[in-house]
Amino acid sequence: MPDTRSEQTLAPGVTITREREVGGDILTVNFGPQHPSTHGVLRLIVDLDGEVIRRVKPVIGYLHTGIEKQMEALRWQQGVVVTDRHDYLSPPINNLAYALAVEQLMGVEAPPRAQALRVIMSELTRIASHLIWLGSSGIELGAMGIFMYCLRDREKVLDLNEEISGFRMHTSYIRPGGVTADATPRFLEMLDAFIKEMPANIQEYEDLLTHNPIWIERTQGIGYLSAEDAIRLGATGPMIRGSGVPWDLRKDRPYCSFETYDWEVAVEPAGDCYARYLVRIKEMRESTKILRQALDRLPGGPVNVDDRKVLPPPREELDTSMEALIHHFKLFTEGYSPPPGDVYVAVESGRGENGCYIVSDGTHKPRRVKFRAASFVNLQAVEHMALGHMIADMIAIIGTADTVLGDADR
Amino acid sequence: MGVERPAEGLGENVLTTTIGKVVGWGRANSVWPAQFGLACCAIEGLMHTAGPGFDIARFGSEAMRASPRQADLMIVTGRVSQKMAPVLRQIYDQMPEPKWVISMGACASTGGVFNNYAILQGVDKIVPVDVYIPGCPPRPEDVLNALMILQEKIKAQGIKPRL
Amino acid sequence: MTALKLTQGILAHGVIAGAEWVSVPRERLRETLTELKSQGYESYVFMTCVDHLATPTVEKPPERFELVYELRNMKTHRELRVRVFVPEDDPRVHSAHDIYTPANWDERETWDMFGIHFAGHPDLTRILMPDDWVGHPLRRDYPVGGEPVDFSEDHEVWQTAPPEA
Repeated sequence: MPDTRSEQTLAPGVTITREREVGGDILTVNFGPQHPSTHGVLRLIVDLDGEVIRRVKPVIGYLHTGIEKQMEALRWQQGVVVTDRHDYLSPPINNLAYALAVEQLMGVEAPPRAQALRVIMSELTRIASHLIWLGSSGIELGAMGIFMYCLRDREKVLDLNEEISGFRMHTSYIRPGGVTADATPRFLEMLDAFIKEMPANIQEYEDLLTHNPIWIERTQGIGYLSAEDAIRLGATGPMIRGSGVPWDLRKDRPYCSFETYDWEVAVEPAGDCYARYLVRIKEMRESTKILRQALDRLPGGPVNVDDRKVLPPPREELDTSMEALIHHFKLFTEGYSPPPGDVYVAVESGRGENGCYIVSDGTHKPRRVKFRAASFVNLQAVEHMALGHMIADMIAIIGTADTVLGDADR
Repeated sequence: MGVERPAEGLGENVLTTTIGKVVGWGRANSVWPAQFGLACCAIEGLMHTAGPGFDIARFGSEAMRASPRQADLMIVTGRVSQKMAPVLRQIYDQMPEPKWVISMGACASTGGVFNNYAILQGVDKIVPVDVYIPGCPPRPEDVLNALMILQEKIKAQGIKPRL
Repeated sequence: MTALKLTQGILAHGVIAGAEWVSVPRERLRETLTELKSQGYESYVFMTCVDHLATPTVEKPPERFELVYELRNMKTHRELRVRVFVPEDDPRVHSAHDIYTPANWDERETWDMFGIHFAGHPDLTRILMPDDWVGHPLRRDYPVGGEPVDFSEDHEVWQTAPPEA
């Protein structure tokens, strides 16, 4: 017989006690995999007592793509293309994790201009990812206008992606050894214009939502995750920063010279959905700051490491140098072979810690590539956050976890 | 059939046509997609195509229905995994006739980049497809182009039953 | 090797590509993880399995399956990798879900993909593949699958199983 009296912690020091008449029957409801608000093909089996959630069981695997197995069948440099597609809201960040891992194993480092371009792409992608999150979370909770505003700005990021790499989404721009192409002058102009108008746009989103009574009703006090629980459940990204823990891989385990930029970690103490919303808004502002600095001090130089064992020589050299021809041939038929060993590199994506663990057996194809998916781990916290809430709050909680099922299922 | 002796002023106000053309015109200009977003193509093909940049609403597809029973078009946006295939078939079966399927992207059309155990090598293995869109992911303009091709197909179908 | 104070039972340790690792026998897995957690490695990063079937490296690993646990100390910002080798004929190990909660789903995934059985796990069922799937896909002797591509000689070698397998 379910309890008639239940206590629930909404925020640090704030608990709510409910005493109700209980019918005694549990209704099991199936959410999706085809559902407009589950942010992908997520299936949740929810046990309801009236409207109150008693148990949540996430069922995943509906987007399992066999990416890790596919990468074992591809050469190291071919694998970059496949890495784009697991967390499909932040493809350059996935590329970055893989590229840094391979470079660490091979013992090469990308030149400074490439690192700055990587930072630019990474932050642009973070903004794009948060815009999609904001738009879809808004529309799921009934705020229809914000979706259109966010997509308007995301189009600008996709135009930037297209300018620099030719692709709107799956750029495969960041690869082991550097980046595929240098930034064109038009890209730098477009980026400058984007940075100038972004703070005003973020202010527009805040004007729409931050003090909106409906938004506050639907997100404040919902989905509370304490700092201890966040660490215990392995949550990363805005899930842990929204609970007051200032853990951000760009500050605490910096890569790509992130430590040379001047920016703040976005932290909120409240631990509910509203706090995580504020964290993501602040992250967009900080990303714009980082973009400004990266653009202003973009160093000159090559964008690819000058190591013929990793990247092919320029095509002009093939006419004159036999060695260049041999390197070119070797790279395009067999590919390079990192020395045997394993390495793990983690980068901060829009969802949290997105890591790449690669194992090399010394051949031209990986032995094992494992993606540490932020969504896979954050999804385990959803049950904890949802217990005791009403069924309508389930949508807000799934939204705040910002899971991408491609990332969770790989 | 026509009107034998048009009355005064009636000539400009009466159009004659076939029922098939009217039904085809009506169906083609109000195709309601089902929200069936699977993976990356859903972001480009459903969200951005419905967004302000490319606006699928001007083609009549403003209402993206969550329930398949209220939809006529299923745009398969993304890779179809082994676990999702029976679900996809069930959603397709739930859609009432007339219904059409657009297979968006390389993964839905042929399996795409993922030639492995986990991904169905083409959604046409389980549902009949009307229009295929190549690309990874296709641009929203490609989706609009596919919708326009589908509209021609629907107009040509008229009131003939689908075999 | 700084700051690592495990009491006993380490088989090997080292540093590779800047990361510290330690290898323990599988019977000591739970004690090792509990001890590391009390020493500050409270954050669980991930756990996975590597299949070393017919690996061409000079130094062969002691068993076919290698379980890798990555732990992190959020105060010192250091990671530590714990390796456990599991034999092919007896792929069983103890579950760590009560020590580190996120290991729950990682262990289900490892069971699904590699066939490693975790004793004491509350719900060791398939998580990524359909429930009635036969076989463990990420093992090296499991074929990549998919369809053969006409005129593509690449597909003839489109499989991860080494020739000796």
